Amino acid sequence: MIIGGTRIRLEARLTSPRWLVVVVPVFSVLFALVVGGVFLLFTGHPPIRTYRDLLDNGYTSFYGLTDTLGLATPLICTGLAAAFAFRMNLYNIGQEGQLYLGMVGGAWAGIALAPHLNQFIAVPVVLVAGALFGAFWVLVPALLRARMGTSEIVSTLLLNYVALNLINYFIYGSRGFFRDPTTPFPQGRLIDESARFDSFGTTNTYPTLIISILLAVFLFWFVRRSNYGYETSVFADSPQAARYAGMNSIWLTTSVLLISGALAGLGGAMYVVGPAGKVDPGLLQTGLGYAGIVVAALARYNFVAVIITAVLFAGLRVGGSALQASSDPVPIAIAVVLQGAVLLFALGGEIFRRNRVVVTRVVQTAKVEA
Amino acid sequence: MNASSEATQGSHRENGATPSALSAQNVTKRFPGVIANQHVNFDVARGEVHTLLGENGAGKSTLASILSGLYRPDEGSVLRNGKEVRLSSPRSGLSHGIAMVHQHFRLVDRFTVAENVVLGSKGLSFVLQPKDIEAKVSEISEKFGLPLDPRAVVGELSAGQRQRVEIVKALYHGAEVLLLDEPTALLAPPEVVKLFETVRVMTSAGKSVVFVSHKLGEVVDISDRITVMRDGQVTGSVKRGEANAGQLAELMVGREITLAPRRGTLDPGDVLLSVSQIHLSHDQSQNRPNQPNILSDINLKVCSGEILGIAGVSGNGQRDLAEVISGLRQPNQGEITVCGLPIVGLGARATRQAGLAYVPEDRLGTGLAPSLSMVDNLLLTRDRGFLVDRKSAFIEAEGFIKKLEIKTPGPLTPTRKLSGGNAQKVLLARELFSSVASRVLVVCSPTRGLDVGAVEAVHALLDDARKNGKAILLISEDLDEVMTLADRVLVLYRGSIVLEAQGIADDLERVGQAMAGLAS
Repeated sequence: MIIGGTRIRLEARLTSPRWLVVVVPVFSVLFALVVGGVFLLFTGHPPIRTYRDLLDNGYTSFYGLTDTLGLATPLICTGLAAAFAFRMNLYNIGQEGQLYLGMVGGAWAGIALAPHLNQFIAVPVVLVAGALFGAFWVLVPALLRARMGTSEIVSTLLLNYVALNLINYFIYGSRGFFRDPTTPFPQGRLIDESARFDSFGTTNTYPTLIISILLAVFLFWFVRRSNYGYETSVFADSPQAARYAGMNSIWLTTSVLLISGALAGLGGAMYVVGPAGKVDPGLLQTGLGYAGIVVAALARYNFVAVIITAVLFAGLRVGGSALQASSDPVPIAIAVVLQGAVLLFALGGEIFRRNRVVVTRVVQTAKVEA
Repeated sequence: MNASSEATQGSHRENGATPSALSAQNVTKRFPGVIANQHVNFDVARGEVHTLLGENGAGKSTLASILSGLYRPDEGSVLRNGKEVRLSSPRSGLSHGIAMVHQHFRLVDRFTVAENVVLGSKGLSFVLQPKDIEAKVSEISEKFGLPLDPRAVVGELSAGQRQRVEIVKALYHGAEVLLLDEPTALLAPPEVVKLFETVRVMTSAGKSVVFVSHKLGEVVDISDRITVMRDGQVTGSVKRGEANAGQLAELMVGREITLAPRRGTLDPGDVLLSVSQIHLSHDQSQNRPNQPNILSDINLKVCSGEILGIAGVSGNGQRDLAEVISGLRQPNQGEITVCGLPIVGLGARATRQAGLAYVPEDRLGTGLAPSLSMVDNLLLTRDRGFLVDRKSAFIEAEGFIKKLEIKTPGPLTPTRKLSGGNAQKVLLARELFSSVASRVLVVCSPTRGLDVGAVEAVHALLDDARKNGKAILLISEDLDEVMTLADRVLVLYRGSIVLEAQGIADDLERVGQAMAGLAS
């Protein structure tokens, strides 16, 4: 690009300094806020005050922060699910559906099994059931991908719609197992009390947050130290090298996708043992599955960073919804614009991490015509 | 325009002050972190073959790319017939009569020869006139001794024939200066001879040829002049008759090197690798029933303390043979034993455990995972257990770096940042010293793309391994390499062994002819 005798171009960096890993995302968020500010100005809302309200409602007030942490709990799980598959170049984008199935599995275990169980194992059983249902939902795409090379992107995406309609059917379309039999009003049947966590005090944060965080830390350690993590790294970098070393690519592909599905399913089950206590169609509106992909991408598939990006993202959500209720209501769409802008700038910022901007003066030379 | 420039050329020649057909003056080209060309001067006259000789990374391909219009120089200029030209693309190069034939052909496999030749032409009629084009293609191919069937589909041609298509294409588009980038890399020796004949016909027709190569031996025959490059600079230039291979090698590498053959000195011991009656047919799912087998009736034995060389032109089943022996692919029939253990059907890990190590042709991507560190790559063929033991691998890596003089910032640097020679050292170190007590080594094209210094190091490693009693199967497309290293040589042609030659005494010509399918 040449502007007024100055040429600006990008040049590949041979090494990218460590500080850029932090600086680029921070600037990405700042630029996103500037872009969001333009939108706010056009819609007649003072940007500074709106941002202050957003910050307050999403992060800095006690209830704002605890709401954010509550929402982040399942979001960490879907973020881990996406990161786990994506870092192996397996694009499971069915976290949404796997999350719903996790909710269904958790509710089933909570209703059918929990009453017969010891109080201490009821919650773990519900969580495990959710994980298994989530894994089950990705089983067919995983096998198709591993055996026949069918695109997991398409198959997992399509199954999201199946899962969505399944939930609607369970609650609105039938009077089946998951629907509350005590009322004509369409809502889910509550699971056994023994299988539910109490929230911390009067907040919306549940002990499942600790499980999510521990899980992220465990995965961080696991992929770095275990043989399984090592094999997935080799496979991600070069499937030929993995084949050369005699690794079983079918097993690796299938198991990675199943674990990814299980993580998303766990997120759904956490919603059941925590705030919902039932199959709740309200989850369908939150889009936590798709948001998991964004969270993972922002964290650059680093499991510990997923915790941070999930909290950041959840805060935008919580703060954004709170703005609607303020005296000068800001539409939720603005919060969505902000999320989109953050993602776009964060991913675009990659260019500046890998390249540097070189500005040179262009000396106009007389063109010699041959 | 062409005619007039030729006329001025003629008059200049009489005056004895001919401007070069094409020249680069004081050209500098930088890429991030390297200066690929530094104040380079180069020229080629009408009717001349001027060779650009240098190791990989010496900057010769960059210079060729600048001369053909693919790159623009940061400093300096390109002159055509003495006038400065600004080449903004290969197409503008072509409009000045400059064409480059790349090492990796740029042809459409599903098109015919004629269709490929006219590809990219301007001013074709809306409805193609195949007859006219075919006639023109035939005319060019006859004139320059490039036999080709204009109606043949390119995907079915051999490497040598494809190269002819590229040359005919350049001539069809009016090329006066041809830049041939590593043109002999994929050819069997008889095909090289044919190529050289064509080059002579072209130069006698007044065309100029720039021959880019890193193979010392062959360039001496063909060139009128040889210019040697090293580290982006011209280190010397010699005329026909003045050249001597040792001298040129010194100019290329910057120090004296030995080109002496290495031979086994020990008597071969026990048979460690035995392959009998291996057949491998095409994948049934591809549904090409008329294709011959990929490998048919392969029999060979390799003893301890011996290197068995497999020569052949690329694509005659070498890779498949290596994969079958290393357990990565199952043959349709046949027996393979490694150190006495039958391994067919056991898979790569079990084959390795039986004592076989394998250095694949594709070193970065198959033999090594490119983004992973040297430490992680040393772990690749180990028994790893549940938790990975990086500590011992780190110590091992440090040892290898010292012992083999591997140039790397450290054991944790991704292997893709290593030069080809250093990456190959890492791979060889793992396969020779680190893998579970390997006694058999299968190596494929171990020095492909490496510079002379690294070739020397790799050959020394293989020679040492032989002295230490390993059985080595060396599969290489580089005939010189096979002939210098191997105790016995087999020639693979279309999936069969067509010739077995014993030692050096056997004449090179017979092996060369067998590679081209002319075995008696």
